[in-house]
Amino acid sequence: MSLPTDFGPDSGGRIKGLVIVKPIVYGNVARYFGKKREEDGHTHQWTVYVKPYANEDMSAYIKKVHFKLHESYANPNRIVTKPPYELTETGWGEFEIVIKIYFHDPNERPVTLYHILKLFQSPVTEGAPPTVGRALVSESYEEIVFQEPTQLMQHLLNSVKPITNGPWTHDTDFEEKKEKTLEKILSAQTKVRSEITVLKEKLHLAKETITKFKEEIAKLQNNPNANILTAM
Amino acid sequence: MADILDILDIEQPGGSEINRDTIIHGDKVKKKYVTAKAVKRPEGMHREVFALLYNDSNKDLPPLLPTDTGKAYKQTKAKLGMRKVRKWTWAPFTNPARKDNAVFYHWKRVSDETKEYPFAQFNKQVSIPSYSESEYNQFLKSEDWSQAETDHLMDLCQRFDLRFIIIHDRWDRAAFRDRSIEDLKERYYGICATLSKVKTNPWSNLTTTVNGEKRIYHYDAEHERKRKEQLRRLFDRTQEQIDEEQMLIAELKKIEARKREREKKTQDLQKLISRADSGNIASNNHATNNMDTSNNTGNVSLNIARRHDRKLHKKKLSSQQRPIRAVETVTVEWSGIKFPEARGAGVWLRSQRMKLPPGVGQRKTKTIEQELRLMNIDIAPTPTEAICKHFNELRSDLALVLDLRSALVPCEFELQALRHQYEVLNPGKTLTIPASICNGPENEAKPTLEIIDVVGSPSALNNTI
Repeated sequence: MSLPTDFGPDSGGRIKGLVIVKPIVYGNVARYFGKKREEDGHTHQWTVYVKPYANEDMSAYIKKVHFKLHESYANPNRIVTKPPYELTETGWGEFEIVIKIYFHDPNERPVTLYHILKLFQSPVTEGAPPTVGRALVSESYEEIVFQEPTQLMQHLLNSVKPITNGPWTHDTDFEEKKEKTLEKILSAQTKVRSEITVLKEKLHLAKETITKFKEEIAKLQNNPNANILTAM
Repeated sequence: MADILDILDIEQPGGSEINRDTIIHGDKVKKKYVTAKAVKRPEGMHREVFALLYNDSNKDLPPLLPTDTGKAYKQTKAKLGMRKVRKWTWAPFTNPARKDNAVFYHWKRVSDETKEYPFAQFNKQVSIPSYSESEYNQFLKSEDWSQAETDHLMDLCQRFDLRFIIIHDRWDRAAFRDRSIEDLKERYYGICATLSKVKTNPWSNLTTTVNGEKRIYHYDAEHERKRKEQLRRLFDRTQEQIDEEQMLIAELKKIEARKREREKKTQDLQKLISRADSGNIASNNHATNNMDTSNNTGNVSLNIARRHDRKLHKKKLSSQQRPIRAVETVTVEWSGIKFPEARGAGVWLRSQRMKLPPGVGQRKTKTIEQELRLMNIDIAPTPTEAICKHFNELRSDLALVLDLRSALVPCEFELQALRHQYEVLNPGKTLTIPASICNGPENEAKPTLEIIDVVGSPSALNNTI
C-alpha cells in the first residue's frame, strides 16, 4: 500500500461537517480440544479478530491493531499490522481482551474496544461436556465514526478496496439483529411515553385533590359547627 | 555560690562584684586558667616525641573515662541574677483599712520600708446615702416601709457594704417582718434614686453621667423575682422531667426535619411537573410544525428542540414506518437524562454514545437497567445511529417515569393523611380519593369504620403537616 504524499502542508486540516462511518465486527471464535491438554492444561483454541462489516480492506486506513491479552500469556501485547487482523491462541480461561485500533494518520487518535473472550456456552449445562468440533462464536457490531476527518484520512477512508470478489458474510446476522432491536426499543418507547402521560395526569389529579382536601379541612376548621357540609 | 554568700552575708574573698563584664568574659578567665596548666615542651625534647605525650591541646586527647563535662556542643547557660540580691526584713506594719491600728508583722524588702501596706487600696468603701428626718418625711415615706425599718436597712447596708445576702441574713426579724432580698434591694435603690434626684449627690456610684444627663440605676424587682423563680424551677426539675424535655426537643427536631424534607419534595415535584410540561409543549408544537413542514416559525427553544431531533424524525419517518399518532402523544423530549452533545472532530466509537453520563447515579442506572430487562431489551444493544438515538431517548424517558413514580408516592401518602385528618375533624364523613391515583386495589376507598383503629397514627401525622 502506498501512501500519497502530495497533501501539502495543511494535510492536517479537518474537513468541516463531514462524517464517515465504518462499521466493524469484532469478537472471537473458540474450539474445544475435546480434552484437557496434558502439557499446559489448555482446553481451547481461540481466535480473536477485528474485521470490516462491509467488504472493504481496512488496511487502507488502519495502521495496526493491538491486542492486549491476559498477563499470564507470554508477551501479552500482540500487534497485528496486516489484515486479517486476528490472533490465534490456546488457553483454558475467559478474560477481557483490550483491542486498540491505530490509524495511518497520526492526527487521529486510536480507538479502544473491549471484548470478553468467550470459550464456553452460556449457560453451561451441568455435567454435559463442551461440544467438540462446532466452533463457538461471540462477536459484536460496532461503528467507528470519523467526525471531521483530516484530508489525508478522508482520502484513505474513501480509497478502500474490496477484500474478496466473493460474498462477505458474518456468523451473526447483524441486519436482523439491528432491525429487531430497533423495533423493540421503539415499541418500548411508545409504552414508556404513554406511561409518562398517565403518570403526569395522575400527578396533576393528586395535586388537585390534595388542594381540595386541604380546602375542605380548612373549611371545617374555620367553621367547626358546619358538620352537615357534605364531603365531596 | 555568690548568691548564697550574699544571702548569708559572707564577704567574698577578693570581693569581686558580679558585673556584666565578669559574666560575659567568665569563660575566658577559666580558659586562661586551663591553658596555663598545659605542659610546655621541655627543652631538648623533640617535637614529635612531645606530641606523643601531649597533643596541641588537651581537648584532642581521647578521654580515659566517658565524661559529659566537656563544653563541646553545649551552649553556655544564660546567667541570671546580674544584680546583687536585695535584703528582706521582718517588719511591723499597719493596715490603713483597719481602724484599730493593729500591728502585724510580715517580710518585706528593706527598700519598701517606707511604703504603705499595698493591699489597703483594695478596701473600697461604699458610700451609702443618708437623709435627714425632714427629707424622709418629704420624699421617702412609704406605706410598706416604716422609718425605723428603713433606718435599719440603711444601717445594715452601711455595715455590710451592700452585701444583700448578708443584710438579708442579719435582718432583724424580731422587730420587723421578714422581707426578701428583692424587697430590700428595691427599697434601697428606690431611696438612692429619689435622693439622687433631689439632692446634689455625694454618692456617685449609682449615677453615671451620659451626655451630661444623669442616669439613675433602676432596680427592676419584678424582673429579678421572675428570674430567680425561673432559676429555681430549672434547678428543681426531677430527672424524669429533664428526660422528658430532652425527648420533646428531639421530637421537635425530627418534626422540623420532616417538614423541611416534605417542603423540599414538594418543590422538587413542582420542578418535575413543570419540566415534564415544558417538554410536552415543545414536542407537541414540534410535531405539528413538522407536519406543516414549515420550519420558519417557532421561538428559540423550539428551534433548539427541532435541531435536536430533526435527524431522528427523518429516520423515524423514512426507515421506520412508525405511526405519526405516536409522535403526537409523545410527551417529554429532553428531560430525564441529558446525554452529552456530539463532540468535536476525531474518531470515536458509536457505542460510546450510549454510556450514561456520570451525573446519573448508580442506583438510578441499576433501576433503569432493571426496567430494560423487564421489557426484554439488551442493555448494550447493537450500536447503530438510530438505535443509539432511540435507546438514549428510551432511557431518558425511563428516568422520567421513575421520577414521576417516586413523586406520586408521597402524594398518595399525603392524600391518605388528609383524609384521616378530615375524618377526625368530621366523624362519620370521609373524602374520596380518586381511584385512578391509587395503584393497588387495597388503597381504594375503605369503609369509614375500618379506619378507626389507625386513627392514632394519622393524628400524629397531622401535627407534622
